[in-house]
Amino acid sequence: MHYSPIPLTSLPSILAYLDPGTGSIIIQVIIAALLGGGILLRTFWKKIFRKKSKPEDTTAESPSEVTSKGDQS
Amino acid sequence: MSGQILGASFRDPSGFLFTRAGKLYRQVNQAYRPDYDLLLSSGLYQRLVSEGLLISHAEATVEPADPGPAYKIIAPEVLAFVSYPYEWSFSQYKDAALATLKIQKIALEYGMSLKDASAYNIQFHRGRPILIDTLSFEINKEGKPWVAYRQFCQHFMAPLALMAYRDVRLNQLLRVYIDGIPLDLASRLLPRHALLNFGLFSHIFLHARAQQTYADKAVEKPKINIGMSKQALLGLIESLESTVRRLKWNPGGTEWGNYYEITNYTDAAFVHKKQLVSEWMERIKPKIAWDLGANTGIFSRLASQAGGYTIAFDVDPAAVEQNYRQVKVDKEQSMLPLILDLTNPSPAIGWYNRERHSLGERGPVDVVLALALIHHLAISNNVPFSQLAEFFYDMCHWLVIEFVPKSDSQVQKLLKSREDIFTQYAQGDFEEIFEERFDIREVVKVRESERYLYLMERRKDFQK
Repeated sequence: MHYSPIPLTSLPSILAYLDPGTGSIIIQVIIAALLGGGILLRTFWKKIFRKKSKPEDTTAESPSEVTSKGDQS
Repeated sequence: MSGQILGASFRDPSGFLFTRAGKLYRQVNQAYRPDYDLLLSSGLYQRLVSEGLLISHAEATVEPADPGPAYKIIAPEVLAFVSYPYEWSFSQYKDAALATLKIQKIALEYGMSLKDASAYNIQFHRGRPILIDTLSFEINKEGKPWVAYRQFCQHFMAPLALMAYRDVRLNQLLRVYIDGIPLDLASRLLPRHALLNFGLFSHIFLHARAQQTYADKAVEKPKINIGMSKQALLGLIESLESTVRRLKWNPGGTEWGNYYEITNYTDAAFVHKKQLVSEWMERIKPKIAWDLGANTGIFSRLASQAGGYTIAFDVDPAAVEQNYRQVKVDKEQSMLPLILDLTNPSPAIGWYNRERHSLGERGPVDVVLALALIHHLAISNNVPFSQLAEFFYDMCHWLVIEFVPKSDSQVQKLLKSREDIFTQYAQGDFEEIFEERFDIREVVKVRESERYLYLMERRKDFQK
């Protein structure tokens, strides 16, 4: 689905039994767009970070190493 | 229609609560059928109930209260006591807000969303906040903004921000504003430095401004599909969550926080009083107890330990906060600390004054504890003994009440700066007046003190 930037003169038709409030809908779409962008960025960075650090992490947590540590004690 | 429809249950066309033959039911209407079915079939109901976030229910086979639109009748698990946000301490309020957001996040995983975020839909059950409105979920349409965002900000964000940034007593505004604190009012009441908090800046200040800007503007019908992606919606919820999480308040200069240290109780007197209350609770075995003027709940716990669900009321938000923190640490399930000013108890509010109940409407209970209390009511607030007796008679079957004589230093302190107009404040008058409505079952002088502890039982033969 495609979401276009928000023209402030038009609203999605929101059916709710309580009035969600025009201003409340508009401001949350703006805030959410900013924050959602942040989350996307965060997820993106996490992925890159994970890709880079993955090999090291795997070695550190490998079961064989845990076992050998256990054997020594 | 048969059955009494509850006064607060008229807004949502999805259904309503009613009572019949003393049992509580919720009618689910046909209009809500797809949402109700998805709630159950998606596994969301199971997940929330198992995490203690949603009240459980059983489908019932009773006659609907309004057969026309009826789809199903459910019987929800019954709460021991219904409390309101203006009775919660800071942490209770915060936990209620976080529970709402957690529920919303889980609901989104199952393709559903909360269609309301009313603080009144959260109750404390077995020591934890729980959603009691099974019909609060709707099928989430991808791209739809959160319809309950305004309500969440008014019911939770604004009160919590005001409590944390301005004064913890400001949740009392909810008594006036039943649909949450108007955001323009919250913006005016919050200190300037609250603007530096990005969450508050956006969810309260900007939000209030947007509400004002669009209050009277006609908005065109949609021409294109606009809205928010799931990522964006999650971003919004997470922002609300982190903003709430960062709001903090700690009980500092509490009015009664060190009460037990400043009374003229010796250790022996304190132990004796505890022992008496404990024995009487074991004897009465109350199902529900109210401790009025409970402070941090030391004596309330004697009632809950005897098996009774105990509401520990106190006027001091700091004492209630400390009590609630204790409940959380010890995972107590039958103790509910609440804020209450007995000289002006919670009134009935809302449409027709029928949506939220007064304190009296939520009674009477098996036992009321009124320990070290009556001198505050009789002297600080000038309430005559006759009215006190009338009040307790309406509130309880058993009454554990402590008489604090005039010679007591606590009473002397109350009289220090005022004329002593309380000629009737004597033990003889107290007994005589209370005996009109109560049978005195026990009277014991508390060791090493001048105080007396009474166990009274409501008289069946009293004619009003």
